[in-house]
Parts: sequence; C-alpha cells; structure tokens
Amino acid sequence: MTVGATVGILFTPTVWKALDDVSIWTQNWPWIPRLKYGENKAVATVSKMCESGCAVKVRTVAGEAFGTMGNTENPISGGGVCPLCANGVQVKNSPNRIKSPMLKGEAVTWDKAKEIVAEKLAAAGSKVAVISGDQTGTINEVFSALLASKGSDAFYAMPCDMQSACKAWNGLMGGSGQVGYDMKGADVVLLAGADALESWGPTVANMKAFADNEGGKFIFAGPFQTKTASVTSKWVPVPAEGMAAFTLGICYYVLQAGKSVPAADFDQFKAMVMSGYTPAKVEAATGVKADAMAEVAKQLLTAKSPVVVPGGSVGAHAAAFALNLLLGGGMKVLPEFAKAVGSAMSRAEMMKNDILQGVNADLLFVYEANPAYVLADQVKAGFTVAFDCVNTETTAAADLVLPIPHSYERVDDLASPYGLPQATYTMGAPVCKASLDVMNAGDFVLGLADLGFESFQEVIDAKVSAIGADADSLVEGNAFVLDETPDVSGVTLAASVLGKAASPVKGTGAVAVAPYTLLNVGTANQATTPNAPCTISNNQLVGDKLVVMMNGTTAKKLGVSVGSKVKLSGGSGECQALVQLFEGVMDGVVAAPLGMGHTTGDEFSKGKGDNVYKILTVSSEAATGASTWAGSTVNVAKI
Amino acid sequence: MQVKEFKIKWGMVIDIDKCTGCGACMIGCQVENNIAPMTKKDPYNYVQALTKDRDDPSNKLRTLTWMNIYELSNGQPYPNHETAYLPRPCMQCGSPACVPVCPVVATDKNEEGGIVSQIYPRCIGCRYCMAACPYHARYFNWWDPLWPEGMDKGLSTAVSPRPRGVVEKCNFCHSRYLDAKDKARQEGSDPMNLPDGAYVTACTDICPTKAIHFGDLNNPEHKVYELSRSKHAFRLLEKLGLHPQVYYMSEREWVRKQGDNYNAGGGAHH
Amino acid sequence: MDSKLFPEGTQRCGLGKFLIWIAVILGFFSWGLYAAVLVLYNGIGTTGLDNYFGFGAWITFDLAVIALGAGAFFTGLLKYILKIKQLEKIINLTVIVGFICYSGAMLVLTLDIGQPGRAWFGYWHPNVHSMLTEVIFCITCYCTVLIIEFVPLVLEQKQLNKIPFIHALAHNMHINMALFAGLGAFLSTFHQGSLGGMYGVLIGRPFAFREGFFIWPWTFFLFVLSAVGSGPVFTVLVATFMEKLTGKKLVDFKTKALMGKIAGTMLCVYMFFKILDTWAWATGYLPSVGLTFDQMFYGVAYGKWLLWTEIVICGVVPAIMLVTPSIRNRPALLYTAALLDCLGVSLNRYIFTVQTIAFPAMPFDKWYVYYPNWVEYASSIMIVAYGFLVLSLSYRYLPVFPMETKLNYQSGE
Repeated sequence: MTVGATVGILFTPTVWKALDDVSIWTQNWPWIPRLKYGENKAVATVSKMCESGCAVKVRTVAGEAFGTMGNTENPISGGGVCPLCANGVQVKNSPNRIKSPMLKGEAVTWDKAKEIVAEKLAAAGSKVAVISGDQTGTINEVFSALLASKGSDAFYAMPCDMQSACKAWNGLMGGSGQVGYDMKGADVVLLAGADALESWGPTVANMKAFADNEGGKFIFAGPFQTKTASVTSKWVPVPAEGMAAFTLGICYYVLQAGKSVPAADFDQFKAMVMSGYTPAKVEAATGVKADAMAEVAKQLLTAKSPVVVPGGSVGAHAAAFALNLLLGGGMKVLPEFAKAVGSAMSRAEMMKNDILQGVNADLLFVYEANPAYVLADQVKAGFTVAFDCVNTETTAAADLVLPIPHSYERVDDLASPYGLPQATYTMGAPVCKASLDVMNAGDFVLGLADLGFESFQEVIDAKVSAIGADADSLVEGNAFVLDETPDVSGVTLAASVLGKAASPVKGTGAVAVAPYTLLNVGTANQATTPNAPCTISNNQLVGDKLVVMMNGTTAKKLGVSVGSKVKLSGGSGECQALVQLFEGVMDGVVAAPLGMGHTTGDEFSKGKGDNVYKILTVSSEAATGASTWAGSTVNVAKI
Repeated sequence: MQVKEFKIKWGMVIDIDKCTGCGACMIGCQVENNIAPMTKKDPYNYVQALTKDRDDPSNKLRTLTWMNIYELSNGQPYPNHETAYLPRPCMQCGSPACVPVCPVVATDKNEEGGIVSQIYPRCIGCRYCMAACPYHARYFNWWDPLWPEGMDKGLSTAVSPRPRGVVEKCNFCHSRYLDAKDKARQEGSDPMNLPDGAYVTACTDICPTKAIHFGDLNNPEHKVYELSRSKHAFRLLEKLGLHPQVYYMSEREWVRKQGDNYNAGGGAHH
Repeated sequence: MDSKLFPEGTQRCGLGKFLIWIAVILGFFSWGLYAAVLVLYNGIGTTGLDNYFGFGAWITFDLAVIALGAGAFFTGLLKYILKIKQLEKIINLTVIVGFICYSGAMLVLTLDIGQPGRAWFGYWHPNVHSMLTEVIFCITCYCTVLIIEFVPLVLEQKQLNKIPFIHALAHNMHINMALFAGLGAFLSTFHQGSLGGMYGVLIGRPFAFREGFFIWPWTFFLFVLSAVGSGPVFTVLVATFMEKLTGKKLVDFKTKALMGKIAGTMLCVYMFFKILDTWAWATGYLPSVGLTFDQMFYGVAYGKWLLWTEIVICGVVPAIMLVTPSIRNRPALLYTAALLDCLGVSLNRYIFTVQTIAFPAMPFDKWYVYYPNWVEYASSIMIVAYGFLVLSLSYRYLPVFPMETKLNYQSGE
C-alpha cells in the first residue's frame, strides 16, 4: 500500500510542484533585499570623505544613489576614486548617520538648536573658535568670516601636510600662493616622506599622475616601506625626524654641483648646508648612508624636471622647497582662488594656528573633524557644537550635535586640494535629497550672523563668479583650472631657521614609531567604511587587535615575534597590539597604522584596533616652533 | 578538459608595478555586485542571536572578496626587502578547473567572450568548485547577506543579492558586458566587435593608478592584446595548464617568479 | 516484555537495560541534532569550514564511512555472484553496516551542501562530466539498493514474518537478491571510484591531480581498491565489537578470518598500486609542474608523517598481517590488522580531502591549518549514534546473525 501510495503521489503534480517551489524559495527569502530597477545615471559631484576630497560621479538607479565612480573629465580623479570615497553611498545610507540635532544626547529641533547657538555666540564674545576637518571647501570661508565678525582669529585646521607646507612656504620662506607638484611631468620624483600614492595629498590625482608618467622615476624616502614604496623604483630608508636633514644632505650635493637660486639668503643657506649638513654629518645624525644621498642627488641633478615632495614637519617641508628651488624642476606655485566671502581668511591664514598647541574657547564649532579622536588632550571648550553627518568621538563629546547632509546630498566644493600642480576648482551639487533632518552647516552659520549671504548656495555661486568659472561646466563635473603663477621673487630659503630645525630630535623610547595612514582604514576625520573592513589586511588588524610591524632585527632586540601581544607606551597613552614581522621597516622602528581604535561609530570601526594617536608625542620643532609628531618614540612591553 | 577558445576573449592585464594595493577595486567590486558588508548580528534570526556571532571581516578566510589583493614579498631582509601587491579576480580560465567538476552545471564557460559564469539560483553549494580552484577565486556565502538598516536601499542593479549557501565569484561584471552589447545594438554598431573601453569591469574603472587593463585579448585594437604579449607579462600557475584569461605584468623579475612554481630550492634535500 | 519480538531462539537483555542503552545513544544523537539545526537554520558559517577549506571533516567522514561501508557491496558480490557460501554468515551484517554508512553519509551531505532544497538538481541539471554527479547518482541509487537489501531482513522479523504476504514477499526478494547484489556492486564500484576521481581530476590541485586511464584518474581505481581492501574487515570489527558488547558469539572466527583474507588480498593489490602511484606522482608529475615532493608537506599538521603512517603503518603492515595465515588466524592480530587497515583508509580520505586543498598552489599564498569545530564533530557523532541505534534495534529484533543460536545456545548440547 505504501509503495502504491508513493507511486500514486509521484504521478500527481504535488511533489514536482513542491520541488519547483523549493527551488524558487531558496533564492527569494524575505530578508534578502529585492532590487529596484529604473533609469541608470551617473551624476558628477564631489566627495569629501578623504582629506583632499575626490571628484566623483555618483551612480543612481531610479534616482537612488548606489555607487561611486571616478570622473574621467576631472583632473582630481582622472577616472579613479579612493577607497574611502568609493564607499560614499554606503556611508550616506549608514545607520551611523546622525538623524536630527542633538543637545547633550536629546533630540532637539533646528529652531531650538539655532536659539542655543545664537545665545552662546552672543555670550562668548571673541572667545569663539572653529576646528575644520575640511581642507578645501568654501565652507571654511563662511566659518572664518563668522570668527572675523566676532573679532576672533581662532580658526584651526586638523594637523595635515598642507599646514606644514603653508607654514614653511608662506611663513618661513615668505612665499605666496600654494605649493604644488607636477608628478606627471617630472622625470624624477623624490617623495621625501610623502606617502603620495596611498594617503598623502590629492591621492587619486597623484596616483593618476604616477600612472600617466611614462618613464618617470619615483623614489620614496621614509622610515617604512609604505604602499607607495611598493611601486616606486627605490625606497630609501630615512627616519621621519631625519627627513629635513636628509633633504639638506641632498642639497649639499646639489649645491656642490653649482646650483643656485636668486634668493636673498642663498649664501647663508649655502654656508649652512656646506658646513652643517655634509653627507658625513647627516649620515651620523640620521643613519642614512652618504652614498644613498649622493645617488638620489645624482638622479635629481641629471633629471630634466625633478621634483621633491615633502611630508612631515615644517622643517622637512622648508628643506624640500629649498631643494626644489635649487633644482628648478616640477615644484609649482599656485595662485589662491578669489574669495567669495570678503571678510573670510585666506588659506594661509587658516593654516596659521597650531591646533597641537591647544585650543581653548568658550564656544567651539567643529566641522567634519574629529579632534576628540586625534587630539583628546589639546581641545578644550565651554560649549562645543559639532557639525557632522555621522557619529564620531567628537559628536559624542559635543554639547550640541548638528547633522549635516552627506557629501552627496549637499552643495560643496573643492578648491585646489593641496599638492595638485595647478589651481583647480571643482563643485559638487547634491545628487539626491537628504533623507534625514539635516541642514547644511553653511546655511546654519549664515543664519547666525549677517555675512552678506542668505544661503550656502549663494556663497558657492559667488565663489564661482569670483574665480571666473563657468557654473554649467562645473555642474557637469568639469574642473576649472587657473593657469597662473604668483610672483616668487621675494622667497627666501629660510636659512637661519632651517639650520636649526633640520637637526633630528628623537624621543627617548626604545623604538621610533612610524605612524601611517591607509585610506581603507580611515583618516583622522573619517573612520573606515562598511565595505572596507574586508580589504584591511591582517598586517593592520587581526580580529579586534591592532597590528604593528617591525623587522626581524628589531623584533629580536625587543624579544618579540610574530603574534606577540605587546603594549606600546608613548606620548600620553598606551596601545595594545600584535606584532607582525615586515622587513620593509627600518631597524629600531615600529610601523603603526593610524585611524583605528574608535570608541564611537558603527560596528565596522568601533572597537577595532587601537588609536595610535594616543602614543604619539607632540614636540616643538627647533627654531620654527611648529608642533610635530616626528621623532615620536615608544616603549614596547610584551604582555 | 580542452581549452575553450572563443572569437572574443575578455581578459585583464594587471600591471603589478602600478598597483599600490589601496583596495579601491575591492570596494568598487563589492558595491557593483551587491556584496553585503560583514555584519556580526543577524536581526532576522533569533537562533543566530543566541549562538556565536557571524564572521569578522579580519578573518580573511570567510570574506566575500571576488577581487582580492595579495601582498607579495621578495623574501629579503631589511634593507633589501621589496614588496608588491597582486589583485586577484577570477582568472576566467580557458580550461577552468571549476567548470567540469560542478555536478549541476551551475558554472559554465559557454558564452562568446569566454567568461566563466556562475548561476546562483542553480548552485547547490557543494563547494567542489572551490576545492578545485587553485586561485581561491571562489567564495561561499557562509551566512545570509544582510545590510545594516537602511543600507539595502542603495543597491546596484547589476546582480541580485545571493542567498546564503551558494558559491559566487567574479564574472568580469557580466551585466556590464550585456549593457555594452545592448548599447552597441542601439547605436547600430556590432555588439560582437566592441571598441576598446566600451566594456570594462568596475575594478578597472575605479583603479586610481589604472593598473588594471581590460579588453578582448584576441582583438589587436584592444590595448590588452599587446600588453598580454609583452615580455613582462605572465599568468598565474601557467604550468598547471588552466590557461587563465588574466595576465599580470611586472618589470621586476622576482615578481614574475612568484607567478608560478619553479622547483623552489632546486629540489632542496629531496 | 518484548521477548516475543526477538529473533527465533535467541536471548536478549531486559527491556529496561536496553532502554537505558538507547537513551545514551539518543543523548549523543540529540547533541548532533542541535548542531544540525544550527547548520540548517543559521548557515554553514557555524562550522569550522572556510573559503580555503570548503571540504573538511564532513567530506572526510563521508568518504571514510563510504569506504568502510564497502564491505556490503563487496561481500554481496562475492556471496551472490561468486557464490562463496561461507559469507552468508556475515552478509546480513554487511548489508546493515552498508546501509548505515550510506544513509548516514547522505544525511551529512544534506548538511554539507549550502542549499539542501536544491539537492535534486543533481538529477535535474546533471553535469555528466562531473565526478560528483556520478557520486550523486550512484550514492542515491545504491542507497536505494541497500534499502531493498535491508527490507527482507526486516520482513523476516519473527512476528512480521508470520503474515503470509510478508513472508512471501521476503522470500521473493531473497530470490532476486543476486540481481540487487550485482547492481549494488556495479553502482558501488563506480561511486567508490568516482569519489577518488573527484580528487584526481583536480587539475588545479597538484597534491591530488593524477593522470589516468580514459576519463578516470588513477585515484578512481585506488579508491575502489582501498574500499574493498578495508570494508570487509570493518564489518568484522563491527561484529566483534557487538560480540564484546553483548557477550555472545555472533560470527564464527573462520568467517572473520575469511573476510580478513579477502580484505588483505585486496589491500595488497591496493598498496602495490598506491606506492607506485605515489612514486610516479612525486618523481614524474610534481617536477613537471615545477614542484617538489617536499613542498607538498607543511609542519606537523600536514607533515610527511601522515603519508608514511598511511602507507606503511596503516597500509603495508596490515596488508602483510592479513595475507599471512599464521597472523590472520590469531584473533588479536586479525583485529589489530583490521583496525590499522580501517585507520589507513580513513587517513587516506582525510589526506585527499584536506591536504589537497591546504597546499597553497599560488607561490605567494600560504598554508592554513583547518580545524573542524564542535558543530562538525557533533553532527558526525550524530551519524555514529544513528548507526548504533539501527544496529541495536536490528540486533535485538531482527535475525541478523544466522549462526547466533548455533554458536551460543547449542554448543554445549
């Protein structure tokens, strides 16, 4: 009977239908999202997640953004996108977005928020400060104009290479405009501490220049074989604190070859280098072999258009600029774009204040920056207003949190990201409507004080007309390029300062620490993104543990090996990490990735690794007085 | 299995001397192909909540990275150490190891262009193809694909999200191929003779150093034709005879040497 | 209480004691069932498998039990086709063991595949070039054959057999058993072989890839030989284990020794070819793809000791022991040899499954070590518990051992 029944059932469609249904169910579970189809578009805009900003096209389907692609027409992108901005839409849609204004953890209305800020602003008098994580936006003009209207000049940028470059070029050397580097046209590029193909400057544009530079030779100098060094023809191991001395050591050979510049202090500079920075002295001070410097100098001298790209301290920048002036190659000086807001600061003025020396204000505005994560000890304020689109350590600590639209939801711009060889302006219009209760920071600030504009859109419009660009072309994603060179005749070589500043100063810890930034791990202001964690190598993170790298000799000296758990202590704190061996690290150096160890944020960044900023030591560079992290050392203890 | 030849052979030439290992290609790939971020909790599954968390993205053996980046080392101690990065998509082998082993024809190499397909609704998840692929180009959906709240609204239309329990892999962004052919037809040009650049993968597009070149290896008008024939070009594990359609190139000999086995150590103490 | 159900002329332990025994088995079973539920409900992510080790403990377990279950088809072949009469004393047990092994393997496979609801696609969209398709065909068909071979034994249950229809059915099925034995032998040979073929065809996996004859790589034949070289003695081990447990003699030693002789002979043939194959692989194939024998091994987890253990201690040694009458005829030594033999074939399956995929084919890749986690162990133990359950019930209620009454209750008379 059973057999009969079985056979009978097999003749009915029941079983077959059920099997068919099963195969359909197995691909259509209710928790698996369905796709929404519609018109596919790619809309040009800017993404401000990385430090320099990316020119991108946002891919949309039926008006909903889903992906980010490069913008071939724009020189900032050339078709490429950095790993941070590549995940822009996912950050825009992230549950980590701030959904409404928050006053000490409680949701408030925008009217209430405005009322509070207006009150605080009135009470603060001139004790108002701004920290901006934006290096390129016209939004900084709005903030600086607000400060000016209150009689304050307390505008702070987060520590960055652009600041060091400004301090060296516009400060020490008396130059005007902004320094840029023609990496595409140069035949020899010495990256003196600038991790240009991974995190330094306009990374994507640098990478594009590197790709387009047929036959050009790239040399990387630094304490650690970064990703940049994996594709350069040569890596010259140079300790971070010795970068300025190393550069002057090369200047020695260049001067010896008879190169000169018509600078007022040239003779003084020459005398200083020829006596204080002889190859033997530099070798003694930095450990870099004289032969290595001679070899690099030879390459630079025989090149038609060499360029030296600095990274690190103000001194290292000034030394590199001096070397570039001697070589007369691919270092460019860019004019600054005309201002939209009359009372705003110039870029050099914005870069002047040294945030590492501390901020103290009654009212502090923080714009898309994360000082609470990077500079926990330095920033103090009576009342902090944080503008950001996602939750960060800074928004968590702020008194008032004001959610702003994500890059793709707002009007924004990129004015000459530092490092580009030409003054370049790119504008970004909103790609999609904001879905949360957000307000553009510019609009909010313009509502606080009369700066001559009603909305931030007006500011951008004014900027576009002030610089003489075509708005329609900008909206299509094209860049406006200004091909002028400011007068550099009055530039000096800062000989008197540089002689002292270039002398390497190192901490007293057991090993030097070489902090490095990888864009997929995150930057000072932007934590890693939802799809990025699986791209982060086990050389940076294993489980929730930070990984630091050192070479076999260093490990032996410290008595550690692969996988050892260690405690690094330096600066004002400690980090826990696992040891990885990597022979691309100098003896006596431990390479540690910045950007991890967040205590606020989504599950992709929170609690992942440790915050290396805690173990960096801020020191004041001799003669320049500028703060630097170079020369940081740590003690390593096995745990 | 014999090498399957097609008139059109889509392939890549990846210039290792240009790749910095930045990871943009991996992210571009995930976005294009609707690969969910790796979340630990499954809010739809209470049994999951009671037991152990889903995988951590730092467990590299459990990720879904169709495009994956390997770090290469020349093996020398400091200061002679050199490093390089090798992006690894699916090799779309001419004689794939994975296709003949699939019991249910869920993967095949049967379409003009020579892309090895993966039919997700047919895959039974036996993982035999994964055992067969020496490049580790195939990935298994160990868990259900889940996007954090709100993130599932911005999905690419290139491919539906796959349920757990099936194998998936890079297919050279196959929907882009279909789109390029459609576009050619609409414009009245030959979809079987696409110009260089009319069809490229998401990783090719996004790569900031343009290290990834993509095109028809058989078409002399495509850049990859010449690049793949350069003296610096090589393929991974050529000796095994899988005939990959992905080429690499490097001027560094030590990098090229890492592409295959050369009786390392001269047979050692064998 | 249930004594009326016992096989004719036998004695069994009390029901209470039996129930306690069953409860213990069910305890293990439930643990495995919990693991299985986790796998089916949460996903295979709950196991220790990963993208490098897509195959692991489950596949090893499957392959091992299927090899050990080979006693069923091979003994059936010898008994029904080659008419070796003496084997009828153990044939029932080989069928049950075979049935347990195969049905157990199929249960594990439903856990192992990511989409069990699509398991039938193997029939609906078959890829005739895939060794796994051959496995799916043969394993399901042969499992059906084993059920057909098992059914008459169930029908011969004392009370059931009183029903005339069932009696007649059982009788008729018995008459046709030679046909099924033949069919089973054919199916089983092929899928034992195709399981080996599965690894031998892996062109991208130098550890396993083998040349071969026609479409079959050498591993195809090696797996068949190793299965028939170990399956029969596994049945002997099961019978002996049951004897120790029940305290009764169930199979005469002469039959056991005969099984040992059969397995031993096959094992000798197998070892001859296995050594030849390993030699040819190490000195011919590997150098041809730029590899050396030494590179195939790594650390302790994948060291050469595994291969030597498999080939020498668990291969050559038991082969010699089993074919030497003076050793084979001493029970303790027979069992030792059988044990080594079974260990050897299991080890072979493990090495082919795990070390094959552990070897990093790309020179810049590295070795990873695979550890199964508790979910894989528990679900495998569930299958073992299931085997114990079937055997316990069969022994208590079915006339499994034709010699039992003679060996235990009539010897004194």
